[in-house]
Amino acid sequence: MALWHALRYGLRNLAHSSERAKDVDDEVAQYFAEAEAAMRQRGMSAEEARQAVRKEMGTMNAAREQVRTFGWENTVRATWADLCFAMRQLVKHPAFTWTAVLTLALGIGANAAIFTVIQSVLLAPLPYANANRLVLLNTRWTDSGHATQRVTGPDAVDVRAQSNDLLAVSLYNGGNEGVQLRDHATYTNVTWVDENFSRVFDLQPIAGRLFSSAEANHAVLVSETFARDNFGSAQAALGQTLHIESDAEEIVGVLPAGFNFPDETQIWEASPLNPASNSRTAFNYHAVALLRGGAALKSAQAELNALSQRLQDNYPQENRAKVLQVIPLAEALTGKARPTLLLLWATVAMILLIACVNVTHLQLVRSMERQREIAIRKALGSSAWQVIRPVVMESLLVSLLGAVAGVLLALPTVRILVAMAPRELPRASEIHLNGWVLAFTLAIAVSTALIASLLPAVRAAKANAAEAMKQDAAHGMEKRGTRRLRDGLVIAEVAATFVLAVGAGMLLRTMTALMKRNMGYQTQQVLVVDADNPAHADTDYTRALRQFSGLFAQLGQMPGVVSAAGVMGLPTSEYGSNGYYKTQGGLPMDAQHKPYANFTVASPGYFDTMEIPLLRGRGFNGGDTADGQFVAVISESLAKQSFGDADPIGRLIQCGLDSPKWMTVVGVVGDVRQDSPAEQPGPTLYMPMAQHPYYANQIHIVLRTKVKPLSLVNAVRAKVMRTNPAIAMKFTTMDAMLNDSITVERFRAILLVTFAGAGLLLAMLGIYGTIEYSVAQRGFEIGIRMAFGANKGTILAGILKHASLLACLGIAIGAGASLMLTRLVTAMLVGVRPIDPVSLVSAALLLVLTAILAASAPGWKAAHVNPVQALRAE
Amino acid sequence: MDNANTDVIQGTMDMLILKMLSLEPMHGFGIGRRVEQVSRGVFKVNPGSLLTAMQRMERAGWIESEWRQTENARRAKFYRLTRVGKKQLEVESEDWARRAGAIARLMKAEG
Repeated sequence: MALWHALRYGLRNLAHSSERAKDVDDEVAQYFAEAEAAMRQRGMSAEEARQAVRKEMGTMNAAREQVRTFGWENTVRATWADLCFAMRQLVKHPAFTWTAVLTLALGIGANAAIFTVIQSVLLAPLPYANANRLVLLNTRWTDSGHATQRVTGPDAVDVRAQSNDLLAVSLYNGGNEGVQLRDHATYTNVTWVDENFSRVFDLQPIAGRLFSSAEANHAVLVSETFARDNFGSAQAALGQTLHIESDAEEIVGVLPAGFNFPDETQIWEASPLNPASNSRTAFNYHAVALLRGGAALKSAQAELNALSQRLQDNYPQENRAKVLQVIPLAEALTGKARPTLLLLWATVAMILLIACVNVTHLQLVRSMERQREIAIRKALGSSAWQVIRPVVMESLLVSLLGAVAGVLLALPTVRILVAMAPRELPRASEIHLNGWVLAFTLAIAVSTALIASLLPAVRAAKANAAEAMKQDAAHGMEKRGTRRLRDGLVIAEVAATFVLAVGAGMLLRTMTALMKRNMGYQTQQVLVVDADNPAHADTDYTRALRQFSGLFAQLGQMPGVVSAAGVMGLPTSEYGSNGYYKTQGGLPMDAQHKPYANFTVASPGYFDTMEIPLLRGRGFNGGDTADGQFVAVISESLAKQSFGDADPIGRLIQCGLDSPKWMTVVGVVGDVRQDSPAEQPGPTLYMPMAQHPYYANQIHIVLRTKVKPLSLVNAVRAKVMRTNPAIAMKFTTMDAMLNDSITVERFRAILLVTFAGAGLLLAMLGIYGTIEYSVAQRGFEIGIRMAFGANKGTILAGILKHASLLACLGIAIGAGASLMLTRLVTAMLVGVRPIDPVSLVSAALLLVLTAILAASAPGWKAAHVNPVQALRAE
Repeated sequence: MDNANTDVIQGTMDMLILKMLSLEPMHGFGIGRRVEQVSRGVFKVNPGSLLTAMQRMERAGWIESEWRQTENARRAKFYRLTRVGKKQLEVESEDWARRAGAIARLMKAEG
């Protein structure tokens, strides 16, 4: 009721504000008139009565002010008035407004963009049912601390059978597969899942039904996107048949387009509940599980710990030191991206800081120009809050304008970021601007406003009327504290920029180090064909092998081609295997650290085509057949690891790839970096395709060419199609694959360099603004000095020296800060030490140059001051 | 005597105004003068605070106002107690009596 009254009165007063003001004025005037009349009745003269009333009751003005300000509507009105005033001020000072708004737009825009990515990737719940109850099983070895997101089949089956806290456990594996449709073949992400998969994710098909494990290798679910792209609609896809690895599969159901777990899967093929592999050392599967509602992660982990202990007791060999873990699915998916995203966040925070410093400086300059105005207001009786309010209001207005511009800037930026993002960036398709981002932006805008107006506001509140009147900035009579404050801001700005520049420098150097690295093979002029020859029965594999061998010969004869070969386990490709191996007559083996190597299956001519140097013995040839003696070629570091200085040729080696047969080492080749240039060259065991046909149907064909590799695509495709139209193909070049293998590093480097550039630009603006302002203020002083004979050079040198001194102080502080922050990037560096003198020195040089450059324009102006004009100016 | 505190006891301004208005409708200065006279100069009211209090009480619906002629032919804003205001006066004076009694007893207490 009271609230309603207050609201009604307030609104009425707002609507009739002049009437109300008159009412208050009249009442106060009448009050004072009555009081004076009463005094006169006691016999005072009119003048005496007036003075007596004034002595007793204060001035009429003060009373009027007090009464007028009562009520919420008056706060609103005063705030509105301040806002209008601030707006008029901003319009009147367009240079200030534009600079401040654009500066903030840059800072806030960068933050909004990065926060959009962070919110969507790291903070938003996964777009699946029961998102916070989904977990991934991890395997961890307590002795080495090593962990993998994979599990073995039997371990996962034990978890499924014995855990109470995990409601459903589903095993899956898969990858990019060639899929044969009625009239064409295509590469698609296929995942083999058991029937629990749909329980874990609570899947509801939009058409058709789910499958059971009884339909293993006969039924698939496809995504709505896949159905639409290949059959026109979800309904049309139902009942259709497709072939994967030469199994005929019926499409029994279609899942909604939003669901694509894992890794943008389009096809989910039914697999049996009991996995094919019963080895407890073959980590062939992933396992995802649903926590029982209410069951905490901790209790599930306690259960798994007990289970892992039982498994260690039952299988002391295979499960030695092996512990199964549950990791929240969101964390498992995004954990690897976290450091990069946090680094970017720290970077944009630094930019915002620099932007804040710039705006603070601009505000400070504004408030100094307003010093007299503020002093006069205070002399007339304004309270501290009343002088601060317009300053804060102006800052708030600038920040909000900056935020709007920033969001507009963030929209395209996010799109560019997503387009540029490496494939490894999880959940990239979910990234979009939303309410959280807008709230975050608003929050940083308001805090920016508060931070940027803090110094000017405090100065306004402390302003001493008498002091302010005496100071005259235009005559160089500025308080010493003021100048020191502005210098401090420049130093802070330089320090922050320096940190960014050093980070960018180190990541850039990492990039160049990676690009220059010797991979162990020649990457130029190589066409790569990802070829999948469907095979199911043993005869299919031998057929595929025969077809491919014929193809290599044909392709090698093509004009423009030097040689052609096939390989399973091409460097930087997604195929490949690795594992332990044994030797006979090699160095004694340490049971704790069994020798480990990459396994690569290659055709004759592979080493020549890739130009991997043959160091000893021979490569593979046509004589290495499935019926003959099994042979192997080893890499240099494998030779060193297992045979030391002894000659490995003729020694025996065995691995768990597919056959327990001992292989004779026939050659030694140079090492290659298998996964990416960031990796150290390591041991590789090469085996001939002819002796491992199960690894010879899904391969890469490599062609060393004399012409531009991609110009051969059509000719090669025709040749392959003529051999077997069912072979699915994808074309690329070795250079492109190599480039792809360092997208994460490139993404980081490009972003950091961009941000450092933005920071540098802002810092330059800041230094320029400060020096420009101080030169403008010292015009009078400079005029006097020149009148007394100072020459232009001295004046210019003085200004440049001042600027470089500020830069040097900033660099010193920045160097300290970057040494402390090194930890953030250490893990991301390759070929660069965490304390990198090259980056430090070049960043320092860059900043000193920037400072001198920014100061030289105002310095030049100062040196060309006309003393007569400067002294006369006012 | 000059330095004696003549401020109205904190929190009692509303009650005093309501009490004065319960005698008869008055304008602002009339209330101020009445408070001063009846309290024999112990309390003096400041016009700014008094008129602000009037605004607040009018907003709360305790009093109503109207411009009319005074006895010496000036126009003035006269305030009148409403029914709600009467009730409020009862509440406040009861509360005051209770608290003043308590303070009086406390001050009379002897070791």
